[in-house]
Amino acid sequence: MKSAASPMFIRSSAGRVIKLKDRNTAMLKQELILRNPLRYLGFEREDVLAPGEFGAVLAHAGVGKTALLVQLALNGMLRSRNILHVSLIDPVQKVNLWYGELFHHLADRYEAPQIKRLWDSILPHRFIMTFRVDSFSVPKLDERLNDLTEQGIFKPDMMIIDGLHCNASLRPAMEALKTLAVKNGLPVWFTVHTHRHEQPEDDGLPASFSPLVDLFDLVLELRTEHADIHITPLKGALTGAPAAADLLLDPSTMLIKDRA
Amino acid sequence: MNTTVENVRNIGISAHIDSGKTTLSERILFYTKRIHAIHDVKGKDGVGATMDSMELEKERGITIASAATFCEWLDHEINIIDTPGHVDFTIEVERSLRVLDGAVLVLCSVGGVQSQSITVDLQMKRYQVPCLAFINKCDRSGADPARVIGQLRSKLGHNAVALQIPIGLEANFQGIVDLLAMKAVYFDGSNGEKVRIEEIPAELRDEARKQREEMIDAATMFSDELMEAVLEERPIPDALIIAALRRGTLARKITPVLIGSAYKNKGVQPLLDAVTRYLPCPSDVENTALDLEHNEAPVVLSTDPDKPIVALAFKLEDGTYGQLTYIRVYQGTLAKGAVIVNTRTGKKTKVGRVVRMHADQMEDIEAISAGYIGALFGIECSSGDTFVSPGQNLTMTSMFVPEPVISLAIFPKDNKSQINMSKALNRFTKEDPTFRTHMDEETNETIIEGMGELHLEIYVERMKREYGAEVETGKPRVAYRETITQRAEFNYTHKKQTGGSGQYARIAGYLEPITEGPEDFLFVNEVRGGAIPTQYIPACEKGFHLCMAKGPKMEFPVTGVRVVINDGASHAVDSSDMAFQAAARGAFREGYAKAKPVVHEPIMKVVVESPTEFQGAVMGLLNQRRGMIVGAQDEGVMTVVEAQVPLAEMFGFSTILRSATQGKAQFTMEFAVYRQVPQSIAEQIAEEVALRKKSAA
Repeated sequence: MKSAASPMFIRSSAGRVIKLKDRNTAMLKQELILRNPLRYLGFEREDVLAPGEFGAVLAHAGVGKTALLVQLALNGMLRSRNILHVSLIDPVQKVNLWYGELFHHLADRYEAPQIKRLWDSILPHRFIMTFRVDSFSVPKLDERLNDLTEQGIFKPDMMIIDGLHCNASLRPAMEALKTLAVKNGLPVWFTVHTHRHEQPEDDGLPASFSPLVDLFDLVLELRTEHADIHITPLKGALTGAPAAADLLLDPSTMLIKDRA
Repeated sequence: MNTTVENVRNIGISAHIDSGKTTLSERILFYTKRIHAIHDVKGKDGVGATMDSMELEKERGITIASAATFCEWLDHEINIIDTPGHVDFTIEVERSLRVLDGAVLVLCSVGGVQSQSITVDLQMKRYQVPCLAFINKCDRSGADPARVIGQLRSKLGHNAVALQIPIGLEANFQGIVDLLAMKAVYFDGSNGEKVRIEEIPAELRDEARKQREEMIDAATMFSDELMEAVLEERPIPDALIIAALRRGTLARKITPVLIGSAYKNKGVQPLLDAVTRYLPCPSDVENTALDLEHNEAPVVLSTDPDKPIVALAFKLEDGTYGQLTYIRVYQGTLAKGAVIVNTRTGKKTKVGRVVRMHADQMEDIEAISAGYIGALFGIECSSGDTFVSPGQNLTMTSMFVPEPVISLAIFPKDNKSQINMSKALNRFTKEDPTFRTHMDEETNETIIEGMGELHLEIYVERMKREYGAEVETGKPRVAYRETITQRAEFNYTHKKQTGGSGQYARIAGYLEPITEGPEDFLFVNEVRGGAIPTQYIPACEKGFHLCMAKGPKMEFPVTGVRVVINDGASHAVDSSDMAFQAAARGAFREGYAKAKPVVHEPIMKVVVESPTEFQGAVMGLLNQRRGMIVGAQDEGVMTVVEAQVPLAEMFGFSTILRSATQGKAQFTMEFAVYRQVPQSIAEQIAEEVALRKKSAA
């Protein structure tokens, strides 16, 4: 996959040429990246997860799991990282809508032509793959992934799996996924649907998820309190990060609130 | 015409390619006794289905032009428009939907809701057409109507309500259970013409009862009376359910689902019953026209046959007896000898022969009254024209016509072909607003433009077959466009004051890109203090506008430019309209060069459906073509790959796709957006343009 962003500086015999238009887009990109509030969770690494690591976002239905992950993905795309979005619930069109909506919320204070250009330039960094829940299997995903990488169509740097029902019975599949992730050097984010009737255990994790928790390096929970959505790290966040405990999600835009 | 307007149904049958629309239409005509034998689409008897009247359609097994056909069922008059399923001909589908009151959405029980069905469904939404769904091909292996109903709900967002359940499926498909009458229905006789009604087989009874409850449950939303009857557990009369379902269907809140297999002659008669029961009659639908005398204010039409005539010509055909104009009458009665006016041209015409069409045969009638579809002979018009009684000045809402995206140069082989070719082009452009033709003044070539490769191919073939015009075609050309990317100032003086009458004009201002809104060209006059006298402002605008047709960069049309003039100068004697036009041209060239012009190309949304094992290959093909793959959707045995690909790279794709997938994949393509061409490709295009100019010179 060729990088779509053209170099900012082009050397020519006439001296150094700075393309103003590209610089504008690059600056907008940089600003959007800097505004990524996940930094407040206290991670050194831009990608949050290291290659082969698993992250999970836990929440009840409709709280904003997908929205949070799509923001992570957008952030990656802005940094020219290739994101593979695997959805087991929504068709391609709908996933695409998620990205479009959130991107426009993120960038709504900028001028239209710039936003459009930026959107066009980051789109090639995303690939959506959808499966029906019943037809999803790790060997199948592996085969698809090989199709993409071998032909040089797309080489992901990060993967998102949305809609997998994580419970104890899934252990073998999750282990296979781990192998796949390590082999391809992919950090993988999952959404985990929790149920209201399920009482969390002492560590705050739902009982159905506990048997799998050792596979995950980071677990975030989204919880609604009054009109706010709180993002709380249940496992893996750096301790002592000042704002980690009460990062908020804005329910109107589903964006992480800019606390600055 | 002895029935009242309540008993008229104008319906369309639209669906994905190869879902069996034409076969279904054929069966309907057979059961309504309009034809006396059944021919299959790709039949061995070489006759072909009756609705596919064009020779070419018979050969390719596809329906090109929508033929309007009339038939009768249980005291109801049904006009059927058989619409083409291929996306290249969507103007035909859209035009048909405009004149329809209801539609039957045919779905394949194996393929389910495919990409084309989604396009067709969007069109139905646009024109608010209520519809029934018919799940066809239940005899095929892999048939699963329940899955298709699920897709109707999830993919198209329809509130799909099953009115029937199948008795057996695939090779064992025997008949259907009617959930309203709670009876089993079988279709006997060599052509399924004998309907046998029996008790529901014991093993299906529970399922039928459950499904019937679901159906009634959905219907209760539309009838309080029915709701009460259900709550009080009274016996429910069929008429009450039918009325409630009909109300829901008309509001597009319910989509009744019927099943069957047209090819195996099963389930067609109940479908006809459902058409008469649930789809609207012309007076159920509100149609509006635009009043040209009152600033296009909408006027509601009534299906009163005694009011002044308002009718829409929606399709033209060239028959042996001259031009045949398919027409839908919205108000009044269009009788033989009546005088009508074409709103567009203002021309008065006397109605000659009035006929009712049955594919390519016809029957003479006295009049077409409001709500009916018929055809006229010897009327000179284009499709989409409105006809009214003298004294009226109404036009039916303009139809959505997309801009062509592809062009092709054609050369007649000899003199005879030349004459026939121009006859054919004249006809085709009248029939199809998306098909255009013009003469390139520089190269002296005849250029045809349309919505896709196949679209143009079909017309070239038709020229050969129907008009005997042998033509050669050039390489298809993409409709590139130019636009500017930044604001640029201009200050241009046009001066010619050496001998003879002089010319003098100065224009100053700036060009800037239009970022929002659909306008391609905006002209703003901000000249203060009469620096340019008011009488020359229109000349300035004209001068700028003329430049938009051919950009200075590569001679493609220019779009999205806002011109603002704010200063200038004139001369008491030497300034003229001509001088200001020339100055505007100069100013445009000057500003344009500084405004960083770029070339845009049409990007198509391409959706390929292929068996899962070929999806890697398909993605490879799309990727090679500068395609950006949006995603891949796993549908069990099939995978749907969606991509955005430049049109320029899609030539010959169907052949390549067929050979790469053993003919098992199909694709649809439609225009998505114009996007900037990458630098390397822009250079290539510039070279091609230069070469073409050179060869023309």
